Amino acid sequence: MIRPAGRRPRRVPVWPALVLAVTVAVGVVVALGLRSGPTPPGSDAGTTGPPVPAPALSGPTLDGGRFDLADAHGHVLLVNVFASWCGPCRDELPLLVDAGRRWSPQGLRLVGLNVRDGSEAVRALLDETGAAGLTVLPDPDGTRAVDWGVRGVPETFVVDRDGRIVDRQRGVITRQWLEQRVAPLLAG
Amino acid sequence: MRWRPVAVTLVLVALLAAAGAGLTRSAAGAGQDDPVRSVAADLRCPACQGESVADSRSPIAAAMRQAVADQAAQGRSRDEIRRWFVQRYGPDVLADPPARGVELLLWAVPALTLLAAGYAARRTLRARPRRSGELPTAPPAAGPAPGGAARWAWRWSALGLIAVVVSVAVAARGLDRPRSDPTPADPVAVAVGLARDLEAQDRYDAAAQMYREALRDRPDDTIRLRLAFALLRAGDAAGAAQAATETLAHAPELPDGLLVLGLAQRRTRPTEAPRTLRRFLTVAPEHPAAPEIRRLLATRP
Repeated sequence: MIRPAGRRPRRVPVWPALVLAVTVAVGVVVALGLRSGPTPPGSDAGTTGPPVPAPALSGPTLDGGRFDLADAHGHVLLVNVFASWCGPCRDELPLLVDAGRRWSPQGLRLVGLNVRDGSEAVRALLDETGAAGLTVLPDPDGTRAVDWGVRGVPETFVVDRDGRIVDRQRGVITRQWLEQRVAPLLAG
Repeated sequence: MRWRPVAVTLVLVALLAAAGAGLTRSAAGAGQDDPVRSVAADLRCPACQGESVADSRSPIAAAMRQAVADQAAQGRSRDEIRRWFVQRYGPDVLADPPARGVELLLWAVPALTLLAAGYAARRTLRARPRRSGELPTAPPAAGPAPGGAARWAWRWSALGLIAVVVSVAVAARGLDRPRSDPTPADPVAVAVGLARDLEAQDRYDAAAQMYREALRDRPDDTIRLRLAFALLRAGDAAGAAQAATETLAHAPELPDGLLVLGLAQRRTRPTEAPRTLRRFLTVAPEHPAAPEIRRLLATRP
C-alpha cells in the first residue's frame, strides 16, 4: 500500500470492525440457538420424564363412596382429568371405560378427576357416554388438578403399581396410546 | 456557551425522571394491595398463549388462582408458592424465568448497543478542535468543519429519540390500566343461554332445570315464563301451571302466562282451562298462537 506523502496514515477503523464482528458473532449464536429448536420442557403432548411419586389424591366420590390413591397401590391407575364442559373429554370417555373393562382383570383401575364442574352436569355426561360406573372424584375449584400439574383438560396420567406417575397424555387419548403406554405396564 | 451543559443535564434529568415514573407505574399495575393477584400475575397460564394466570379466563388459570389463594391463606410466602408451581409445571410457569444462556443476550445486546452508540456519539461530538495543534489526532479545520454533518446527525437522532420517549410517555397516560376486577360473565344470562340451547335440542327437562337455577339467582318473570313453557313441553303440567300462576300474580294480563296456564290446565284442571284460554284470546286476539287456541276451544267446548 502506497500512501501519498504528506497525508497522515489512514487509521484502521477499529470500532466499526469490532461492532461488525460482534454483531455477526451474536447473529451466528442466535441462529444456531434457533436451529436447535425451542424445546421448553413439558411442551410436548406426551411427556415421558423420570417417574415421580404421584401427589396425594383422596376424597369423597360422586356416588358417595370414597377414593384414595393409596388404596390403588399394586394396581395400574389411569387418572383422567375431565369436565362436562370439555368436548374432547366426551369423546374419549367411552374409550377409557372400554379399556377399564377389558384390562381390569390385569389390574387396571380408572379414576376421573372432574374439574370445575357441577354434579348434575357430570352425571348427565357419564350417562350419555356409558361411563356411569366410573369412579369420579369431584374437584370443584380445580386445585387438585393444579396439584397434579394439569395444563388443560383432558389430561390423563398413568400411575404404575408403585404409585409413581410414569406417563401422561395432554389432550385426547387414543387406542394406540393405550396399547403402547398402558398395556406394557399391565403385562409386567 | 454555558447553556449547553445545563441543557444536557436538564434533558438527562427529565429522561431519568420519565424512566423512573414509567417503572413505578408498571410496577404499581401488578397490584401490590392484593398478594394473590401479584403472585398470579407472575405465573404464566399453561393453557393459554402469552396470558398470565391473573388475567386468563381459562378454567385451569382459575384453578391456579384458587391454588395461589389457598396457599396464601395458609401463610405461605410468595417464593414458596412460586416454588410449588415450578415443581409442578416447570420453570416455564414463571412469567420471568431466570435468564440463562442465549436469553442473556436479550438483555446484553440492547445495553451494549446503547453503550456503543453513546461512545460513538461522544467521539463525534467531542472531536472538535478549537485550535489546530491542541488536538493532534484531529485533522485541521478547513472550510466547513469535517464531521459537521455527522454531528448534526447525532443531534437530530438524539432529539428524535427523546421525542419518541416523550410521545410514548404521553400516549401511555391515555391507556387504560387493566381493571383489577374484570366483571365475570353474568351467571343468570349464561344459564338462560344454556337452557335455550337445551330447548333447541328438545331436552326440556334439562332446560327447565337450568331455568330453575337461573331463577334462584334472579327471580325474573320472563325466565319464570320460559320455565313454564319448558315444563309444559317436558310434560310436567302441574309445574308449568304453578310457574305460570306465579308469573300471572305479578302481571295478571300477560298473554303468554295465560296461554301456558290454560294449556297446562287442560291436563291438570280441564274445567278451568277454557276460561283461562278465552281470557288469553280476549287479551291477545292477534297472538301467533291465537288461531290454534280458537281451534282447540271450538273442538272441545
